[in-house]
Amino acid sequence: MSRPTLADTLPERQARALARAVRIEWATIAFLAAAITAVGLTVGNSQAMRAAWIEDLLSLAPPIAFLVAVRVIAMPATRRYPYGFFRSVGVAHLVAGVALFTMGAILIVESVTALILAERPPIGSVELFGQTVWLGWIMMAVMALTIPLPIYFGRVKMKLARELHNKVLYADADMNKADWMTAVGTIVGVGGIGLGLWWMDAAAATFIAGSILWDGVKNTRAAITDLMDTTATTFDDAHHHPDADAVHDYLSSLPWVAEVRTRTRDQGQFFHVEAFVLPVRGRAPSLRKLADAQEGCRRLDWKLHDVVVVPVAEFPANAMARSTDPES
Amino acid sequence: MLARRVRPAAAMALAGILLLTACTSIPADAAGTSDRVRGGELRAGVTHNPPWTDTSTAEPTGSEVALVESLARGLDARVEWVEGSEAVLADALHEGELDIAVGGFTDDTPWTEQAAVTAVYREVRNDRGVTEKHVMLTRSGENRFLVTIEDHLRENGADR
Repeated sequence: MSRPTLADTLPERQARALARAVRIEWATIAFLAAAITAVGLTVGNSQAMRAAWIEDLLSLAPPIAFLVAVRVIAMPATRRYPYGFFRSVGVAHLVAGVALFTMGAILIVESVTALILAERPPIGSVELFGQTVWLGWIMMAVMALTIPLPIYFGRVKMKLARELHNKVLYADADMNKADWMTAVGTIVGVGGIGLGLWWMDAAAATFIAGSILWDGVKNTRAAITDLMDTTATTFDDAHHHPDADAVHDYLSSLPWVAEVRTRTRDQGQFFHVEAFVLPVRGRAPSLRKLADAQEGCRRLDWKLHDVVVVPVAEFPANAMARSTDPES
Repeated sequence: MLARRVRPAAAMALAGILLLTACTSIPADAAGTSDRVRGGELRAGVTHNPPWTDTSTAEPTGSEVALVESLARGLDARVEWVEGSEAVLADALHEGELDIAVGGFTDDTPWTEQAAVTAVYREVRNDRGVTEKHVMLTRSGENRFLVTIEDHLRENGADR
């Protein structure tokens, strides 16, 4: 067998979703390369147009991070990396988040300065087939062309992110949303220049920069909390993850288990669960029973890749009981 | 059902009409230069740079001076010439005290923060074999006026 891939460790349904995600990320990169070229050629003097171009450049980071991470994550654990390479997803996520944040901050300063200094963007004309055409029309046309595909990419990725529990994919879907909203904002800004409303361009750019900055804050925060081993949440960080409760329910159902507490961390694609069990009447379970319990937990969900069941006399301080509200 | 089908069509037709009428007035000037100049006064800055501009005589002469004069004729406007250094002219454009400035400027002009640069209307090789791409400067944000100048230069700028 050749090098193990992530797809080998996934159930068939998820493996198919992964293959689709890889394809769509390559498609995204191809689309972005075309868009960056087209927008770069028409960027001119519009602040909003410049912001949109830089955002397109930055949008390359999440797809690349995803494609690198799905390769690295599958590498088997070594003596030097005994927990494997699952964290590669978190690192990719952090890099993308910080890049977004920095760029958003720079763009906000630039466009707010343009507003304060009342810089009036000049947009001239070009000769096209013997006709004088205002460059603004061309800019708006190029921007309009970059709207439909990111909407489609974003929708597909959001679905796949849920299926695969992949946060980089989720961040990327978010990015695609920011992309097409940026395009709309740019059309408004350049249209404003066309109407003689010079401030509309800088205002649109400020709005776009704000959305980039917010994306950066959101993704950086999510990546940092995951790297800090916050308890596992759903792919969009909105809810407590139901898998932890499933482990509680399963272990509690075993006859030799009196009580269960868990610590769950999200390693990007998979979870690492430490389940502490208080055996009935304080009697230690046989190794066989422990191994079976561990295997049973793993079978609950493909995400539960690494589960250790530890019989204890007393629970560690912050191990969690089953959540009472399944949606909290 | 019918209403649902008709409404988008009507909306698109309306958008089309709006776009067509808008085409004639877009781009507009942020400060209304075109409207003010037409039938009025064109405030033009000039700096000495023969053969493009020559201010050694009482009235400025030179190929770019002639181009500004013909632009003004097309707009039914009188030209009010103001002479100054490049820096003074660029500042005056930024302050809105001038509508256009000429002086053999090339597209690598450093005054892009203060003024709008027209499209290159003429390329010449100078004595050192370097290609000079010639442009004019106008007030930033006056995009209708900018396109008017560019149009005029495309039609008349190539020949001397």
